[in-house]
Amino acid sequence: MNTLKIDENSFELAEDIIKDLKASKDLGILKCIQCGMCTSVCPAARHTDYDPREIVKRVLDKDETLILDDILWNCFYCYTCHSVCPVNNSVCEITQILRQKAIDNGKGKPKVAPFSAYGESFLEFGLGSIPSNFFDDLIKDFGKEWLELKINIEDIREDLNLGSMFLPKKDVDDINKILEKTGFKNRLNKLRRCRDEENTR
Amino acid sequence: MKKIPDKEILLFKSCLVNVEYPGVESSTKYLFDKLGIEYIVSERQSCCTGLGHYADLFDQFSTTALAARNFGIAKEEGHKNIATLCATCYAILKKSCNILNDKDDIREQINKILDGSGCHELNYDADDMDSRENIFHSVEILYNKADEIKDLVKVDLSGLRVASHHACHYCKVHHKDTIGNARDPMVIETLAKACGVETVDWYDRKTTTCGNGFRQRYMNKDLSFSVTAEKLNSLKENDVDILLHMCPNCQMQFDRNQESIGKSVGTEFGIVCLNISQFVALALGADPYKVVGVQTHTVPVDKVLGKIKQTNLCQ
Amino acid sequence: MNNYNFSRYAPKSSIDIGVFLCRCGGNISDTVDIEKLASSIDAKVVKDFENLCSMKCQKNIRDIILEEELDRVVIAACSPITHEKTFRNHIAPLNPYLLEMANIREHCSWVHSDKNKATEKAISLTNAAVERVQYARPLDAIVRKTKKSAAVIGGGISGITAALSLANQGVKVHIIENKPTVGGNMIKIGKVFSPEKLAEECSLCLFNPLINEAVQHKNIDIMTNSEIKSSERKAGNFNLLIERKPGHVNEDKCTACGNCADICPVEVPNEWNENLMTRKAIYKPFPQSVPDIYTIDDNNCIKCGKCEKVCKMNAIDINMEGEIVPLNVGSIIIATGHKGFDLKKRPEYGYGRYDDVITQMELARIMGVNGPTDGKLLRPSNGKIPRRVVMVQCAGSRDEKPEGKRYCSKVCCMVSLKHASFIKHYYPDTEIVICYTDMRTPGMYENYFRHVQSKGIKLVRGRPGDITKKGENIVVRLEDTLRREPMEIETDMVVLSEAMEPSEGTLKVAETLNVGLTEDLFVKEKHSKIKPVATDIEGIYVCGTAQGPKDITESVSQANAAASKVSEMINGGLEIEPTIAVVDGRQCEMCGECVAACKYKAVYIHNERISVDPVACNGCGICVSKCENNAIDVMGQTDAQIFAMIEGMLKDKKEGERRILAFVDYIGYVAADNIGINRISYPESVRIIRVPSINRLMPKHILFAFENGADGIFLGEYPDEVMYSSIQEKVNEFRSALIKNSIDTDRLMYYKVYAPYFRGLANKLAEFDKQVGKALDKLEAVLYKASYKDL
Repeated sequence: MNTLKIDENSFELAEDIIKDLKASKDLGILKCIQCGMCTSVCPAARHTDYDPREIVKRVLDKDETLILDDILWNCFYCYTCHSVCPVNNSVCEITQILRQKAIDNGKGKPKVAPFSAYGESFLEFGLGSIPSNFFDDLIKDFGKEWLELKINIEDIREDLNLGSMFLPKKDVDDINKILEKTGFKNRLNKLRRCRDEENTR
Repeated sequence: MKKIPDKEILLFKSCLVNVEYPGVESSTKYLFDKLGIEYIVSERQSCCTGLGHYADLFDQFSTTALAARNFGIAKEEGHKNIATLCATCYAILKKSCNILNDKDDIREQINKILDGSGCHELNYDADDMDSRENIFHSVEILYNKADEIKDLVKVDLSGLRVASHHACHYCKVHHKDTIGNARDPMVIETLAKACGVETVDWYDRKTTTCGNGFRQRYMNKDLSFSVTAEKLNSLKENDVDILLHMCPNCQMQFDRNQESIGKSVGTEFGIVCLNISQFVALALGADPYKVVGVQTHTVPVDKVLGKIKQTNLCQ
Repeated sequence: MNNYNFSRYAPKSSIDIGVFLCRCGGNISDTVDIEKLASSIDAKVVKDFENLCSMKCQKNIRDIILEEELDRVVIAACSPITHEKTFRNHIAPLNPYLLEMANIREHCSWVHSDKNKATEKAISLTNAAVERVQYARPLDAIVRKTKKSAAVIGGGISGITAALSLANQGVKVHIIENKPTVGGNMIKIGKVFSPEKLAEECSLCLFNPLINEAVQHKNIDIMTNSEIKSSERKAGNFNLLIERKPGHVNEDKCTACGNCADICPVEVPNEWNENLMTRKAIYKPFPQSVPDIYTIDDNNCIKCGKCEKVCKMNAIDINMEGEIVPLNVGSIIIATGHKGFDLKKRPEYGYGRYDDVITQMELARIMGVNGPTDGKLLRPSNGKIPRRVVMVQCAGSRDEKPEGKRYCSKVCCMVSLKHASFIKHYYPDTEIVICYTDMRTPGMYENYFRHVQSKGIKLVRGRPGDITKKGENIVVRLEDTLRREPMEIETDMVVLSEAMEPSEGTLKVAETLNVGLTEDLFVKEKHSKIKPVATDIEGIYVCGTAQGPKDITESVSQANAAASKVSEMINGGLEIEPTIAVVDGRQCEMCGECVAACKYKAVYIHNERISVDPVACNGCGICVSKCENNAIDVMGQTDAQIFAMIEGMLKDKKEGERRILAFVDYIGYVAADNIGINRISYPESVRIIRVPSINRLMPKHILFAFENGADGIFLGEYPDEVMYSSIQEKVNEFRSALIKNSIDTDRLMYYKVYAPYFRGLANKLAEFDKQVGKALDKLEAVLYKASYKDL
């Protein structure tokens, strides 16, 4: 049986989330009445055990095991729950914040580590890209033409009269400096180490 | 409705448009030129971090710092109205703009970082940008010119049935800023109608995500595909020829994966995927290969190309 | 510093004042040295008594007034809140407003223990009253006459109820209805729920007799097809212009035979049947329509003239023109009702896309015996009896998203239960599923809920996200939150419990009458607890769903309440305190600043002159502070009186003595009295001055006080929602005036007072006294430094 102990503040986790940089202004987490509308439109809820309504319930109950729960990693970040919630709560944002907490405490690192190459390429070019470690798998689904596209992209862009997509070196350097100072490089290094460990395993 | 500009626009480049569907950028430029929209593209603009951000790799602070840098560039180049090609860029930039305006401590920290990185001139002052008045999706810029587009249509595309997929990161994240009813924006339909085609205004799962789900496509492919399949099945039931997009990530999900998903569910969908800008450009007579970039698509665009050929023969 | 032209306010000739001091059986005299007080006051007569409020003293006072030929009277005794009325009677034959009271009990003897200091303070309180009373003017109570007629806007259940109640009390009532028939929403509903009888009753059978009574009532005039075009207030009455649209059918001739509708070639959706069937361009909305005549819908009529020809009574005139009817009434009751939420704003629910997704009102019509299916429950798509009906609660209600309504529509839980019960009774094989978030059936309604539950309805707790079609079936998707899993409910009929929102008529009327609306656009009541049917304009009342979502029971009680408020005005005849704003037409330049400033909408323009509604005006004085031409004044609170009071309070201030003037409103004054009643002490420096509101004060008053020796100014007022924002502005205005005049803003304080929280006020006064002390020390140090430098 669960006992709600006297003097126990069960809103600590919720309040922590409300204060997070990612949380929207006036995030309606405390107004949740568990109507389940979020779950009724959630693609992850249809195909997995992820239940956005229950995520909020657990947050409001200060269930910190939630941060360690694999269930968090099923959200699509499609924001459908966010866009329909009658009290302006956003499970999508809550899940993003919880995942960051999971990364901070280590459990989430292996989940994110496979995307490290995105960060590496961002630091190199200032551009986003699909992490190259997924290419082999993607070619299987996308077909060989996709590989050809990767090879010919510069020519195609030229045919379309589009300029170079690359940033001048000075700007890439600036971006590197910024990301050093924001702590991103440090964060990325940790995730890379985690990736490399997983790979050797 | 919000006020939509037609000048001083910075066309904001997208990573997936760059290398997957560059035709989206060239089609948008083609249309902007035709419609007299004044814009620039900046070589200094960095990506928004979106794919990394929503894979939980980028933290909100770093993403916001890079957005501040890009806002600085837009201001410096005198083109403060940002028009994105991708729905995720749109969502990321708006969110960052709100943080920069609302949170003094974060703004100060970021300005300090910009100072220390040789970017003092790109510092962000509160309310330098307004998320509602300065940050748009390029499709909104086109939507604002739907009436003019109607007069410029050259190719008869009637007979094609099109449906829309209004990217989640366009209509849901900042739903108060979405044109029309965020639950069913009809922005793409309005543009498609201007080109004289029949639109399927509603289909089951219309508002569902494309299924990419950022990490899900790469780490939980089955989950990702089952959501995409729901949508493809519904489109098929509605006899849709073309699915119109406003986000390269959604477009990839439906275009590149369509065959694999079709195989796994035993259906051949044959649904052409085009960005609405590509579709409108085609309707206005743009060259499919030199402007619209159909050569980078996985599902063949033949259905549309056939229509264009017919029109050319008639002329 | 500013120099005020005080002579402008000086009384014309010398005035004889009598000051009467009360010992209050020791309550005052134990702490205040009455002899010293008496000897310190400069007046023609100064006399003290043991108990001034006694009947014996009344005679004494009167005798002295007559003997000494006094012009004004000051009573230094208890709080005016306790005995002002008594003493006003005591001073007859003098005008009751030629009296001033000094509160030397609650504000002095009961809060101070040092006899010397208390006596000093009593002297200054009495002095202030003496100064002030010289500027008192005789005033007469205002008697307001309200015309014995009213306009009731809207002919639904609320409007008809209010009209009947007034008409039965002898008031002439004009019902103004914009539709061709009265009846409103209630007449469309087939059945109404009865929580007592645990049954559904026939709505028409309840309502029709009332409508008939209204039609036949000699005091009721029903104007259909009519709308208010404009409204002008005049001395508490309203001049209305009513636009009467042409119905094209002569009421006296039409026999409602229906030949015209038979021949009419135009078919349009029948809104009275929620567009579930059609009607002709010439039509009678429903068989029991009142008035019982046909009418032409101008928007759809093609003017072919066929009906004119077929009418044997020559009742039809296609070219009939509308008219503008002037109406002068004493009061107005807004009963303009609600409309159903537009469910097209929720495209994911499929309303308008799937024929079998309908609203509760549509279901009501379908179930109504005079409805499109003659009362049979049939699916609009195929005319078959549904096997299952799924009801979706909160469709549009309880939703903070931009297209939604934030409020609970209050009736939908009961409406769905009513329909469920009714369906179960006649179609036991049809299954009912209600998807709900909370079932809200408060009070006796809970009995009805249980009664319907026992008929076998399925309740699923979850709010559906979308509704779609799969093959032949409609599918409602939601999470069964109690099972914690997403589910799809197959059905062949869905009923959305649509939110209630203000009708277009409500919005229009509010605009025409300049009545305030809530954030949700319903007519705003003056106070939700104690003035639930008054609007922010005196003489205009509201009832029914125009004011907010509610059921018939509640609408009817509100309608009766509104009617009784109107008749209170008419029958009681209202005597109003004359301490209200008065405009001097010679000075007024019609800038309109006062009209804009008045939070009570008491100031208005009539016949190119500024007028003040004496009932609405509460004498707060904000208009005075906005008038640049000194053309408006509040009786009993003139500038002269305020300046005199300040001067009197600061008179004979000794070196090193501290005096703080505390201006408080009525609530603040009551709180200060409570401090005294509870014998809590606060510094003797504090002198309390009652003002109608801080809004009455202007920077000139504040600066005058500082100039004349005030060490600090304390402002206390109850943060009433109507006034609070302007008080804040006011306080800021004072602060900047102080800054401009190099006065430390620490010497000014604003505090929100609450009547029961008098201890807080006492603490605050003490705190402020200290704060002022510090500010003065600081000032002294600066002055000392400056003088030292000079040396």
